[in-house]
Amino acid sequence: MLAYATKRLLTLIPTLLAASLLIFLFIHLIPGDPAAVLLGDTATPEEIAALTARMGLDQPIWKQYGLWLGNVLQGDLGTSLFFREPVLSVIAEGAETSILLASMTMLWIVLIGIPVGVLSASFHGSWIDSLSSGLSMFAASVPTFWLGLYFILVFAVGLGWLPSSGFPSIFDEGGLANLRYLLLPSLTLAAPNAALIIRLVRAAMLDVQREDHVRTARAKGLSPARVVWKHVFRNALIAVVAAFGFTFAALVSEAVVTETVFSLPGVGRLVVQSILRRDYPVIQGVILVIVLLYLIINLLVDLAYAWLDPRISLA
Amino acid sequence: MSAATLGSRMGGQLVAPFRLFRGRPVALAGFLWLLFVAALAVLGAVITPFDPLEIDPVNRLLEPASPHWFGTDHFGRDTLSRVVVGARMALIIGLGTVVVALTLGTLIGVLSAWFTSLGHVLMRIVDVLMAFPALLLALVLMTLLERSVLNTIIVIGIVYTTTTARILYGMSLKLKNEVFVDAAICSGASTASLLFRHVLPNLASPLLVQASFIFAFAQLQAAALDFLGLGLPPEIPSWGNMLAESRTYITRASWLLLFPGAAIILTVFSMNLVGDALRDRIDPRFRDDIAGV
Amino acid sequence: MPLLEVDRLSVAVQSDGLLQPVVREISFTLERGATLGIVGESGCGKSLTSLAIMGLLAGTPVRITGGHIRFDGRDLLALEARERRRLMGAAMAMIFQEPMTSLNPVYRVGDQIIEAIEQHRRCSRRESRERARELLQQVRIPDPAGKLDFYPHQLSGGMRQRVMIAIALASDPALLIADEPTTALDVTVQAQILDLLLELQRDHGMAILLISHDLGVIAETCNRVAVMYRGQIVERASSVALFAMPRHPYTLGLMRSVPNPDVDPDSNLVRDARNEPGRLDAIPGRVPAIDERVDGCAFHPRCSMAEPVCRRDDPAVHDRNGHESRCHFADTLS
Repeated sequence: MLAYATKRLLTLIPTLLAASLLIFLFIHLIPGDPAAVLLGDTATPEEIAALTARMGLDQPIWKQYGLWLGNVLQGDLGTSLFFREPVLSVIAEGAETSILLASMTMLWIVLIGIPVGVLSASFHGSWIDSLSSGLSMFAASVPTFWLGLYFILVFAVGLGWLPSSGFPSIFDEGGLANLRYLLLPSLTLAAPNAALIIRLVRAAMLDVQREDHVRTARAKGLSPARVVWKHVFRNALIAVVAAFGFTFAALVSEAVVTETVFSLPGVGRLVVQSILRRDYPVIQGVILVIVLLYLIINLLVDLAYAWLDPRISLA
Repeated sequence: MSAATLGSRMGGQLVAPFRLFRGRPVALAGFLWLLFVAALAVLGAVITPFDPLEIDPVNRLLEPASPHWFGTDHFGRDTLSRVVVGARMALIIGLGTVVVALTLGTLIGVLSAWFTSLGHVLMRIVDVLMAFPALLLALVLMTLLERSVLNTIIVIGIVYTTTTARILYGMSLKLKNEVFVDAAICSGASTASLLFRHVLPNLASPLLVQASFIFAFAQLQAAALDFLGLGLPPEIPSWGNMLAESRTYITRASWLLLFPGAAIILTVFSMNLVGDALRDRIDPRFRDDIAGV
Repeated sequence: MPLLEVDRLSVAVQSDGLLQPVVREISFTLERGATLGIVGESGCGKSLTSLAIMGLLAGTPVRITGGHIRFDGRDLLALEARERRRLMGAAMAMIFQEPMTSLNPVYRVGDQIIEAIEQHRRCSRRESRERARELLQQVRIPDPAGKLDFYPHQLSGGMRQRVMIAIALASDPALLIADEPTTALDVTVQAQILDLLLELQRDHGMAILLISHDLGVIAETCNRVAVMYRGQIVERASSVALFAMPRHPYTLGLMRSVPNPDVDPDSNLVRDARNEPGRLDAIPGRVPAIDERVDGCAFHPRCSMAEPVCRRDDPAVHDRNGHESRCHFADTLS
């Protein structure tokens, strides 16, 4: 298992490097002089020249990449044009919101997605199955921002149960109760993804149910519940775990929209605002962090996969 | 297989939608909705009761009632008319992204499978691109480009090229190992002829399924981009733009949220249903590959 | 009282809204410690019969449409699900055709055996582990203690089938149903597994119901044989009697279809009208599809001896000294 983990870690690095190269090149794809772009419209020629020299923008591209990469590895992701602060600290400020939002969302996805998927498969062909399939496909067809706006309309404005925007930190006044600000946003994010998980769990369970070893399990006289959980679900989990990798990717994407709808001070909203403000260092930095996170999550998923399926690591 | 039999086989697959939906009334309803949307897209402003672009400040934010059956927005524009012409954008974006993603994706996927060394390189690049979550990639690409219909199509198309390429790579690999390929090679078929006459026809139905899912998801991505102000230019009436513009007014005028949203939801849902129905009819060996976009 | 009594059992498959009969009122008995083989081509219903007896038809489109199955005097079909499960894996056990896929790939082999043990017996972890090791030893797996921690994919097909047998033996069953246990294995391994089954049968006094399409396998292991065709038992006898003197054209055809290398090649071949050596004697035609209707004797379309009466009437059972046959001409055959 350790050998497998190491092997996977090693393949991560080239992909990360390649992605970082693309991100680095991003600045140079923007029309105009990179230094001018980075400093914005108000820059004087002297400032531009100074930045050019400091960043080595007059050097060959590959040297620049090296310089940039060196800085990144030391934690220097550049300076935000808008905030005039290091990019890393700007990102760190949004991290709390985004991490909490993602965690709550994953919680709903797992709590709703897995049981409903298992139930659908167990009652395959019944009305339970049809209903949940229909509802989940419907949920996957709804634009997240629309759902968010509707939730605000109904629960925040209409019923007044929950707040509609913002998120005070849980380290501030209010403590954990402030999490209620994340309730609607996390449910909004969870809906389409839970739908996907339901369908995947159901499909995986149905596939596994047909396999011979399930028949062997029944022939032992095991109770139906035990057969479902210990044999069918346990094997279906292998297929489902893979889905958590791209669920995370979907979450990151849609969090961008959801944070905008609910005005949450998270990294997603930061990305959008930075794009609109043309704050390129921040855009670069956030993309880098997100890609790194995504690759790590995928690695963890692969490891979980290997842990669940002995055929992989012990091959 | 001669072109004639090939054509008739594919024709048979495509021209019998009603046989396809036997036993699936909801999917059939979805298909009919899509036809309806297509009709609206073609007819466009010709059939709308009001000019979708005409500003009428006197009648702003009217509730749904005759003659504005879907109400009016903050500029007094008739919502119903705008929803109708929004269908055109939906169709254009949908079809456009499908063309881009399928063409590029098939090219990359099939060639990667066939020419193994090239394939390793290309698939690594695809892997790297797939390290960027979809919408994020689209957002980043849009920062480099101006807001326009074409750019939106290109950007979303590129985003879905990656998954399409991967899927087609997997399927082509499977096909490559099939006996009929060896048989064709033995009878002297050239690579081009192999790919066009033997491999691609087998990929036709999975490609159709993939097209339907891309069409559906492209609507959601385009709407999200519009909402964030990074998609279509604001003056173009699309369902996404309608939602973006009315954001500040929805507490007073919830119909501005309801009708364009319903249009998007119904269209995406319908396409998903149709895609599902198609998927159940395709070659079972490919079924696992098309788990979803 | 026989251990297993199948009394006019009928099984049907639900397909496209219709119930198609697959097993038509078959009856047979199996005494304690005896071995009965059911032989027939694919599609004759022998596997479904075994699944019906074992009670593994839930959740499939297959239904029992009539008859009784009595085990140790108890009517299995009248039992509640929980009661039935108490028998499964305990008094009656089953092994299947595909050892490669019949074990759960994510659990160790030892744990899968222990699961079977602990389902029907209360014992400590250590006891069940010891019993599992003992079972692996009985099925002649080398280094049984070490193998307990192996995963199925680390074992060969033959070894996996032995593990399946160990699982089946966990609670010392009175009846073992073996559905094509050697079909998916190499020939040499086949022989080993069959030997193992016979040895275990002698040591434990277990009754075995062996399903196979392979006459050779049946001949080696069973004292009694039933030949199935299209859902019916068309011949039944002790294996000695059956192989010496078959009383049904189908059985005859089956035996002749097997090339026999020990015999003079020419005598194995059908001689055509001019008494010239011809081709291998295969039974012409094919097994009718599930929804095809056949009047009279089910076998008559493929039978070289068919007469008008065969087309009209379903033959009755002709019994001579315990050797039964469903053929109008059973007596003239021998």
